[in-house]
Amino acid sequence: MRKITKFRAAKLTVAVTALLALAGGFVGISAAAASQPQAKPNTEVTGETYVIGTDTTFAPFEYRKDGELTGIDMDLIRDIAKNQGFTVEIKSLGFDAALQALQSNQVDGVIAGMSITDERGLIFDFSDPYFDSGVQMAVAEDNTKISGYADLAGENVVAKRGSEGETFANSIKDEYGFTVKALADSATMYDDVKAGNSVAVFDDYPVLAYGINQNNGLKSVTEKEQGSSYGFAVNKGQNPELLAAFNTGLAELKTSGEYQDILDTYLEQPAPAASSGFFGLLSDSLPALMKGLGLTLLATALSIVIALVLGVLFGFFKVSESRVLRGIASVYVSIFRGTPLLVQAFFFYFGLPQLTGQSIDVLTAGVLTLSLNAGAYMTEIVRGGIQSVDPGQTEAGRSLGLGYVTTMRRVVLPQAVKIMTPSFINQFVMTLKDTSLLAVIGFAELTYQGQQIYAANFRTGETLLIVAALYFIVINLLTMLSNKLDKRFNK
Amino acid sequence: MSKISVSKISVRGLRKSFGSNEVLKGLDVEIIEGEVVCVIGPSGSGKSTFLRCLNKLDELSAGTVIVDGFNLSDKTVDLNEVRQHIGMVFQHFNLFPHMTVLQNIMLAPVELKKESTADARASALKLLDRVGLADKATARPAQLSGGQKQRVAIARSLAVNPDIMLFDEATSALDPEMVGEVLQVIRDLAAEGMTMVVVTHEMGFAREVADRVIFMADGVIVEEGTPAELFGNPQQPRTQDFLSKVL
Ligand SMILES: Nc1ncnc2c1ncn2[C@@H]1O[C@H](COP(=O)(O)OP(=O)(O)OP(=O)(O)O)[C@@H](O)[C@H]1O
Ligand SMILES: [Mg+2]
Repeated sequence: MRKITKFRAAKLTVAVTALLALAGGFVGISAAAASQPQAKPNTEVTGETYVIGTDTTFAPFEYRKDGELTGIDMDLIRDIAKNQGFTVEIKSLGFDAALQALQSNQVDGVIAGMSITDERGLIFDFSDPYFDSGVQMAVAEDNTKISGYADLAGENVVAKRGSEGETFANSIKDEYGFTVKALADSATMYDDVKAGNSVAVFDDYPVLAYGINQNNGLKSVTEKEQGSSYGFAVNKGQNPELLAAFNTGLAELKTSGEYQDILDTYLEQPAPAASSGFFGLLSDSLPALMKGLGLTLLATALSIVIALVLGVLFGFFKVSESRVLRGIASVYVSIFRGTPLLVQAFFFYFGLPQLTGQSIDVLTAGVLTLSLNAGAYMTEIVRGGIQSVDPGQTEAGRSLGLGYVTTMRRVVLPQAVKIMTPSFINQFVMTLKDTSLLAVIGFAELTYQGQQIYAANFRTGETLLIVAALYFIVINLLTMLSNKLDKRFNK
Repeated sequence: MSKISVSKISVRGLRKSFGSNEVLKGLDVEIIEGEVVCVIGPSGSGKSTFLRCLNKLDELSAGTVIVDGFNLSDKTVDLNEVRQHIGMVFQHFNLFPHMTVLQNIMLAPVELKKESTADARASALKLLDRVGLADKATARPAQLSGGQKQRVAIARSLAVNPDIMLFDEATSALDPEMVGEVLQVIRDLAAEGMTMVVVTHEMGFAREVADRVIFMADGVIVEEGTPAELFGNPQQPRTQDFLSKVL
């Protein structure tokens, strides 16, 4: 019996290690697109490296193909950088997050299919327009009832939050009598229409056209409205040389015809939609997902170790005789248990740099968030564990002449740890799952990678199934391993 | 840390309150070396609290307790040092469940660096033999009967060589057939001249081993005397009333 258990535990260990190694192997964070100075370099930007924020999910302007960021915006900024002799490091953050990152100087510029508006002009400086967009309406492929705005009376439509499409839909909703719902990215909006929650979507025509060409299950039913223009943005008053270089580079690409080539690549000859079946999707997406899983596990491991230290420290504060220490621990716990993890993540990544003027990388911000959050729960686990040991045990230890520390170490803690272990394992799993929330600040973990994939191929359901399965397998393997270790050491 | 008293234990004006509830209302007790004092009285009268003040498991609210010449209220006195002079045995044994019987007994001598591990093991085995449990050295507390647990607990407190032993209803949690084996160990200790304070509900035992019996009620000492005086001819109505109920 014992032998079998041991053998099983060993097999489990091997499986987990293999998985970690596999995931770890894919953690090679793709970095700067290095480039050589070419014709007419702008001397002010030559040799500089600029961090450029962008959306995660705005095909054909930015999306991932085989794990690499591609699209009109990406080709444009890289070619302009090459032309002007500077280097760019692209950060795929999501639209809202990219704008916040620009405001807090986490990035130097943003190119994200962003319309130039007066409102945005107040906080950002825009380049010359590089693309003229316009809003178009689409419905589900099999919908024969809706062929124009007049058919929308009493219906729900969906548009991208903060986009031209939303502004346009809102401007005509009273005239035609429909309701507008806002969602964060295109893939989600299209799913909403296909699921029948909304009858139509208002989106930028190039995005819509690209999606329809990818067999996203929609069809466009109206002509494109006269729309705004897209521009590259820097923070107000910051990086004027970068803006100037962008404008010069854009003009040169237009003259040379390279600009038109880029547009043609994505708009005139859309990639033929090759639907590859579930296993095709699985093998295509696995490299990116494993890379994400590696970061998920890295963030979890770092966070749980720091949380354990915090939990033990503040847990002891909580059971100490000192009112001050107990107070400190209570304040810490109530702050981190009393606010949502999502808010904490935004605060550490965007808020803190604005307050301190010190930028922070996304892994640090993510680990800071998770460890402080899990540390609060660990504190309560440690406090509960210590307090659940019969006070008679401490009295027996102290009456023998043992000091507080010795009594804790030899008598109370060994019993408390045994009581706490299941809660520790539980917290470990919670923290692993919580890493998925870090997708919102652009941390490239598993969920984020999944979002990237379905943003480009519109196969939301299948992609999420694969993502969920990966979480499920890893969490269950780790839980089984933890329980085995618990049984082995906490007899 | 000078020797102040010739008494082994000297209690003067001891008061103890829990919040606004005064549990001990001014106790004066002198106990000399080798004396066996039994404390009896109704539930809630403060017997346990009194005992716990003698090794400062509870803080004193007022008064002084001097044990072996150490004034417990003196901030410079090392309590951990004093407590090694005072063994304490609890109603619910409080054995350490994650250790074997031997480890329970060896913990304090080894941690306090009084003995090497090898010496502590030898002494522990001797103590186990003395309480009649030499064959249980490697057992866990959970595998022992109540009477065996309490005998291990006594051996554990004896391991640091105390010269005073405190017993708080050491037999109250035991099945009747096990009371005798524990009382026998206490009786042996008395015969060896150990100074002891024994809180007990076993009146027969108190009458047999005690040099002096103290009757407590409502946080005061109502009456004290030799077993013959207190059991044979109680003076106070409260003592008479209590004895008529328990005898
Ligand atoms: N830690 C405590 N906090 C508050 N009140 C307490 C505490 N310990 C004891 N008391 C109170 O002090 C009083 C005396 O308690 P104590 O345990 O000393 O009585 P006792 O004579 O030992 O009773 P018993 O025979 O039931 O053991 C009781 O009213 C009890 O409720
Ligand atoms: Mg009591």
